[in-house]
Amino acid sequence: MEELFGVSMNAIAIVVVAITLVIAVLLAWVAFRNPVMFKTGLRNIPRRRAQTTLIIFGLMLATVIMTVAFGTGDTLSNSVTGDLYDLLGETDMVISWDEEAHPRPPSERVIPLAEVDALRERFADDPDIDGFLAVLIETLPSVNPATGLNESATTIVAYDTAHAEPFGSLRDLDGAEIVLAGNEIAINEDLADELDAEVGHTLFLLFEGYPVEVVVRAVAPNTFLSGSVNFGASSYPGGAVNFGFLAGVLGREDATQWVAVTNAGGVKGGLERSDAVEEKLNAALEGSPYKVEALKKDLTDFVATTASVFTTIFVVFGLFTIAAGILLIFLIFIMLAAERKPEMGMARAVGAKRRHLVESFLAEGMGYDLGAAVVGLVAGVFVTFGMVALINGVIGEAFVVELRTNLTPRSLVIAFCLGVISTFIVIFFAAVRASRLNIVSAIRDLPEPVATNPEAATWRGYARAVLNASVAGGAIAVSAFALFRLPEFAPLFGIILLFGLIGPYVRVLRRHNFGAPRRERIEGGGIPLWPFWLVPLIPFYLVALLVVRVMRDRDPRVGFWLIVLGVLLPPVGLLLAASQDRDRPIAWGAGYGIVGLALAALFMEWAYSSDSYFFFAAGVSLAFGWAAFTLRYFRVQERISFTVLAGLLLAFWYVAPAGTLDFLIGGLEGGPEMFFLSGIVMVACGTFLIVYNADILLPPIATVGARFGRIVPAVKTAVAYPLTARMRTGMTIMMIGLITFSLVMFSTVNDNFGNIFLSDDAKGGFDTIVFVNSNNRTDDLVAALEERGVDTSPIVAVSEQRVAWAGETEIFWDGDGSGPGLTGTFTVIGADAAFFEANEIELKRRAAGYDSDEAVWSAVASAPALAVVPGEFTDTAGDQFSDFELLKLPPELVAEDGFEPFQLRLRAPGTTLETVITVIGQMDDPGDVFWNGIIVQRDVATAAFPDSGSQRFVIKTVDGIDQEAFAKSIESGLAQASAESFQKLLDDQRAASQGFLLLFQGFMGLGLIIGIAALGVIAFRAVVERRQQIGMLRAIGYQRAMVALSFIFESGFVALSGIVMGAVLGVSLSWVLFTSGGIGEASEGGDFIVPWLQLIVICGIAFAASMIMTWFPAQSASRVAVAEALRYE
Amino acid sequence: MAADGNSDLVIDATGVVKTYDTGEVQVQALRRVDVRVPRGEMVAIMGPSGCGKTTLLNCLSGLDAFDEGQVLINGEDIARMADNEKTEFRALGMGFIFQTYNLLPVLSAAENVELPLIVSGTRPREARERSLVALERVGLREYAGHRPAQLSGGQRQRVTVARAVVNSPSIVWADEPTGALDSATAGGIMDLLVELNANADQTQVIVTHAPEVAARCHRTIYMADGLIEREEATRALAGAPA
Repeated sequence: MEELFGVSMNAIAIVVVAITLVIAVLLAWVAFRNPVMFKTGLRNIPRRRAQTTLIIFGLMLATVIMTVAFGTGDTLSNSVTGDLYDLLGETDMVISWDEEAHPRPPSERVIPLAEVDALRERFADDPDIDGFLAVLIETLPSVNPATGLNESATTIVAYDTAHAEPFGSLRDLDGAEIVLAGNEIAINEDLADELDAEVGHTLFLLFEGYPVEVVVRAVAPNTFLSGSVNFGASSYPGGAVNFGFLAGVLGREDATQWVAVTNAGGVKGGLERSDAVEEKLNAALEGSPYKVEALKKDLTDFVATTASVFTTIFVVFGLFTIAAGILLIFLIFIMLAAERKPEMGMARAVGAKRRHLVESFLAEGMGYDLGAAVVGLVAGVFVTFGMVALINGVIGEAFVVELRTNLTPRSLVIAFCLGVISTFIVIFFAAVRASRLNIVSAIRDLPEPVATNPEAATWRGYARAVLNASVAGGAIAVSAFALFRLPEFAPLFGIILLFGLIGPYVRVLRRHNFGAPRRERIEGGGIPLWPFWLVPLIPFYLVALLVVRVMRDRDPRVGFWLIVLGVLLPPVGLLLAASQDRDRPIAWGAGYGIVGLALAALFMEWAYSSDSYFFFAAGVSLAFGWAAFTLRYFRVQERISFTVLAGLLLAFWYVAPAGTLDFLIGGLEGGPEMFFLSGIVMVACGTFLIVYNADILLPPIATVGARFGRIVPAVKTAVAYPLTARMRTGMTIMMIGLITFSLVMFSTVNDNFGNIFLSDDAKGGFDTIVFVNSNNRTDDLVAALEERGVDTSPIVAVSEQRVAWAGETEIFWDGDGSGPGLTGTFTVIGADAAFFEANEIELKRRAAGYDSDEAVWSAVASAPALAVVPGEFTDTAGDQFSDFELLKLPPELVAEDGFEPFQLRLRAPGTTLETVITVIGQMDDPGDVFWNGIIVQRDVATAAFPDSGSQRFVIKTVDGIDQEAFAKSIESGLAQASAESFQKLLDDQRAASQGFLLLFQGFMGLGLIIGIAALGVIAFRAVVERRQQIGMLRAIGYQRAMVALSFIFESGFVALSGIVMGAVLGVSLSWVLFTSGGIGEASEGGDFIVPWLQLIVICGIAFAASMIMTWFPAQSASRVAVAEALRYE
Repeated sequence: MAADGNSDLVIDATGVVKTYDTGEVQVQALRRVDVRVPRGEMVAIMGPSGCGKTTLLNCLSGLDAFDEGQVLINGEDIARMADNEKTEFRALGMGFIFQTYNLLPVLSAAENVELPLIVSGTRPREARERSLVALERVGLREYAGHRPAQLSGGQRQRVTVARAVVNSPSIVWADEPTGALDSATAGGIMDLLVELNANADQTQVIVTHAPEVAARCHRTIYMADGLIEREEATRALAGAPA
């Protein structure tokens, strides 16, 4: 895998390794400069082993997620690329007819052999090209009379086997070179398996109904040279014959379809010359109707892109876990800080500076961090092996190759470094937060005193908060973002950025003795020296020194309007910030709220200029954050402000996708990233609603609990504790809620789409589909089967269809008069009368004048110019996966029943033959599975596309027969036919879909470990914190079981809140998105199903795991020795 | 002064031995201690730090197990009780007061006081009514909805007293009940305990360092090195022979 989010993996590796090294150097510097505090931090690690284990367990998840994501990408890339090299061997490029630039009927798309000879001659001495090989490829049925087995689609490649040496030669399983003569064939391993064929067997290839005899000369490994050319298929039954032999059969002696090219440099080395060779060949073929494709390079690039997409999907889905992991790390360190508070207070009392506390915390934190990254890496490797085994085992059929686990050292290094870096950042902020303590309160383990702000809830205080937030980084964030988004205002924002870079230094200096006013300053104290390490920023530091030097002794009293001026004019702001009273509290939340609002405005600009719903929604969410901080600053009751704002923001997330705000956001588009953003914002809103209102909900719960007599005491204490520790309760609810939301939403959306597309309606009333080799069509399937002794009595109806596939058609829509028309290709299915009589395909829309589905089908059956289009014809989703430029029409054309019939022109490529058809109906979405084409009468299709017309039959049978056995009987009777039961095809797709669901749920479910670990950390911590209280409860009569029950109820309340919230939000958002068509037109107005069983399983596992994790601390609490606990402090 | 007549003994402890084993060192905290306390007596236990006062209180009240000897509370041998029985026994017949209050910070004063009632199966509404009555007795009726953090040290200790007596226990155990209070507040708490002792015929065992607290009790037991050194009557027990 070479890229992630479009960035080279090498670049990512260099950056993350560099950052990790900086962190390592920083720690080494701390250890060298202050070994005592460093050791103090490190020695805390083994103090509580159970807790340390839990912390490492929780912290490792980020590394695990990264390792699995990268490992899956590496595995996919490596396995498929390896298979690709095996298959293609030395074949690097192909030359073929350029059908897009020069449309011609298939029979005319050939390259004369003389042209091949000319190329061979021209490049005979070229250092980049080793050789050319004319190759014919044809798909024919094959039969082995010796075993009675047949294969309906055998790929026969034909070339001059005597001159294939530059391509590595055709070789048998032992590696011996094979040169074929006459009607000899070398079959590949897949065909040998299919036909149970051996060397010496005589096989028949069927061409236009006649058997062509060939003799098996050898069995060869599956390679391009042995007929394995159908890349992407699950098997490659094929064989190789001499060029002259197949050319004789096909009647094309003087021309070929393909010219294979091998580059110098061997199997892998040749790849590097692809660009050079492509350039040379293009130059040589200029003006000809032929094109050059760098086959091996294109395929390996495609594999690399696919692997990158896979990794990206894993990383995106893993973001929930990583977000929850960040919350966990923060929570853990807040709790560690709470535990160490008296120690830290004492350290500060005896002279330790805040910086020392931060360093001590960092030392401890990095101990956990490194341990967790190593454990995470190892666990990630194991999980990757598990995931690959799961992919191979559960959904192996959905993949074309067997995956072999592969993790490159580069991926492991990146995963390790990302784990270390993400944890370090969170630890750093948590450490800074923990270091800000009141010494007396810390020593006495009392709550931190809240500093009285005389300017609280005043406009003056608000302006000052904004001024300080702007100076302390806000200006940098806003101006840098504005520079990126609004380059036309670069001079303005550039200047603001320059002043912004001075701001943080002013803040630092004001906290330092250098910035203290005269009465507080110790003369001769010097200046902070560390900023000189940041060499590029030294000029800004020097300016900051000057500003602070000039302003530090000035009168800090300034008027309100001057502060406002300072907000608007950065130079004034810097002067004011440098002169203000150092001890006056600042409402940082309110200040940064405005910074958030400014960023929200820039997000909005981004949203409308790039039609991105993501930035619009992110901007709206940031604006709500600003409103919440502002209302709190102005002392609007927190419960009311946070409840109302969280409720309104939640409402926005429901209303916007439902289309209510289309007048505002109608043109904006959202992608998979919305999944993550919606999860984070909605779960945060839900968490606020719970923690600010649970005290209203809990008394009734306690009242209900009161009915169960003996558990009342346990309920009483269980509901009281979580509400007094809002932050840790909220963070834990959010962690669990996030993961539950992601699992439930993924599961619900997947299930509903499965219900639409993979329902039994997809069969359209038929049971079996039979594909007939296009070289060996049959006019009467039933007669052909009866002739070969196949029991046809179960057949109720048979329909013959001719299919011109996308790429074989040109289709024109001339527009509706309001704009230009559209051109593209699309599959056209020509069906006979039996199909129109027997099909049960439901229609989504009918044209004016047709009041039932039957009316539409019977009209198409009777009028040659009429047609029905599939649901996908007006849905552009998935177009990027098509090899062709598909024609997709505006959905408005068929927006409602009674739409105006419209015309399409059909044309065979390279001809002037045109057929005009009129569309009078659109199939419902399940029809897209098996009937994804424009359905017209069979004769219309064959007339419009005479050179195309693959043949297939669909069969309706009596009920109760074994459909798979019936399909097999057709295949064994008719060599040129491959048959499948529709039910089996559907079941296979459902199984693959369920397999993917399981895979991703398993991956995302890793995040549950985080939520559960958080509950465990909190519960273990609570046992320590409440030891004395537990002793008292036991003294006054709480039984052991009651104490344990209280802990379990407490965790149960938190876990259940998160689980229920996540599930409710996940299902409700899925419902809104699904029924409103917010995630694809196909679902709009569709029946929504709630996957109860999956929800119960997800929620049940999450809850049970939470309870198991709480069980241990609960038991530990119940075993507290009463007398000892009462003495414990 | 030992009580005469075993039938009225609330606490009858004989030969109590308690040893703390720290793995490397064994500390004998109680060395064959005998204590007898009749109903309604208020006994103070004094002595230097580490002499075994709190250990004795914990062993007598069933909070801690002892190694040898026998403790009968109201005639019941607590050493023979299972943990659950002992816990229920405490819930129904004992009240506790500690120096550090040990109130649950997340519950209001009324909720803290009603806990022992709820534990012993009293219906919530009745428990609340009785807790309010108990708070009334200690003069904190109007602070029923306050949480411990919103009360002063003296008020917290009065809540603890209310919690200790709300279920009308026959014995109240107090470990340094005035240790964290100033002398005026401590005096108020002792007034309260003396009044409860007099009015409810409650037996009270108080571990203290303060002579003024011991002076308010009927008898003081002096301990040293895990042994009862001497006993001293400080005031007459009502109904006892002079």
